Amino acid sequence: MSNELDFDELLSKYKSDPFAYVDIFSVHTGRVSFKAAVGQEVASASGEWQQIPGTALYEINRERNPRLVNAQVNGIVANINTELEGQFVEAGVQLMTIKHPLKKKEIIEIILKDVLFLFPAPESAKYFFAMDIQSRIDKKGARAVTIEPGEEIFTMSLMKRDTPVYYKGERGVIHSVYFKPGLSVGQGEPLLGVCAPEKLPLIQKIITRVKAEWDTEH
Amino acid sequence: MAENHPNPRAVLQQLRRELLRQDTPVQYNKEEIVRYGAFVGSAIECHEQLPRAMDYARGKIDICAGNGRAISSGSVFLADEMSLCRGRFRRTWHAPRGGVWGCMVFANTLLPQWRSFIPLTAGVACCQAVREICEVPSHLRWVNDVLVGGRKVAGFLVESYTETRHGEEFALVGFGINVNNSSFPVELEGTAISLTQILGKNIDLTEFTTIFLAKLAFNFGILLHEEARDLRGDGFSGGQGRHLLLDRWLDLSDTLGKRVLYGFDVMTAPQYQAEVMGLDPSGGLILRLVDGSVKTEHSGEIRYLG
Repeated sequence: MSNELDFDELLSKYKSDPFAYVDIFSVHTGRVSFKAAVGQEVASASGEWQQIPGTALYEINRERNPRLVNAQVNGIVANINTELEGQFVEAGVQLMTIKHPLKKKEIIEIILKDVLFLFPAPESAKYFFAMDIQSRIDKKGARAVTIEPGEEIFTMSLMKRDTPVYYKGERGVIHSVYFKPGLSVGQGEPLLGVCAPEKLPLIQKIITRVKAEWDTEH
Repeated sequence: MAENHPNPRAVLQQLRRELLRQDTPVQYNKEEIVRYGAFVGSAIECHEQLPRAMDYARGKIDICAGNGRAISSGSVFLADEMSLCRGRFRRTWHAPRGGVWGCMVFANTLLPQWRSFIPLTAGVACCQAVREICEVPSHLRWVNDVLVGGRKVAGFLVESYTETRHGEEFALVGFGINVNNSSFPVELEGTAISLTQILGKNIDLTEFTTIFLAKLAFNFGILLHEEARDLRGDGFSGGQGRHLLLDRWLDLSDTLGKRVLYGFDVMTAPQYQAEVMGLDPSGGLILRLVDGSVKTEHSGEIRYLG
């Protein structure tokens, strides 16, 4: 839980260096061929349905099956492990780093992720709220909805196979919703940010402070 | 007694007839497939009425677990009519007397990458059954809608269920096939149709269901058979090294090349128009959007345009 001292330090860190350094890892084993260069500007997927792929970062070839991996964030390529060019790598090897400029909203979310309990997507799929939860959100708004461990909160949908997803985490209110029905969420990415009701004033304080300090400085 | 009353022996006999078919030039091991698929319909319960087959199946799974047993994988629960059926999202499902309504319980032993083929399996089985019994040109619309003349004869939904006592995972394969029912709610008139409306006569429900379950067994056999081949490093049995189930799906489908409207919930929130370019190896639909970009969707629904 953030206290005044940690929060000041955190905010000061983002003010002096308002970037996220996003490491890019090999998605599976294979031979790597880089498609971007250090200093190059890269863009994430775009289009209303994310149908325009991001800038090509690298290609990885396993058993004559090449796979092109595209940028998922905007930014500048800060570093490439060029010694891996043409080499066979295992899955999960760090290949490059993208320096991504953080917007105010992203900084708020990053700080909040220290305070909120993040409930992750169990698989790469599309998600929608369970009917009961959706009704409660429609009636009262997400932040008035309390969820309990073991409660069915999502339906995970893949190829018309619907799987109920049960909440595992702290009892709390839904503060942040990180997905949209109809858009895929990767495995492990956060679906919800949940917090105990008594933490809501702290969270509001964080948001207000970041907005105020960010607006004066940037 | 329920009007629709297939029995496991008849399903098995029908399944064995698949060994005699010569319906494809592709060579594959039918005996092995039949052995793999024979569990489907090994236990069948027939009811005159149920609220919802999937809910009933969940209850049976839990009862078995509570008694220290596991439900037989392949158990089928049928009802002549169902009163509380629902589809995806907030949709209701119309299930009056005359149709084939039910659910098959599959103990999910498939590796994760093949589980998304389970919904395809049900659609393939039904489309094959309709073609065989009714001799009408039925087709599959991605993912698994069975259409005749552009109108929907059957729909399928798979729900995963993890039994609470031991954590065993099941796939509940729900099916709804319009056979002898001939009236539909106003919102479905024009989009739904039954086999009796197409043929102008009633069909023996028990015979149709027996054939459908046998086809379901054979296609589940294909799923397990192809997984085993993949694990052995033998590759798939379909044409050009494709998964055999995808081959069969492509043979039955008219989706490729169509202009479609796509949406996660296409009825209430359609998202975009596209042209269907193909199917990827995992069954995902490859779409070319109006701006020329290409996207593969693994969830959602389509409706044909024009």
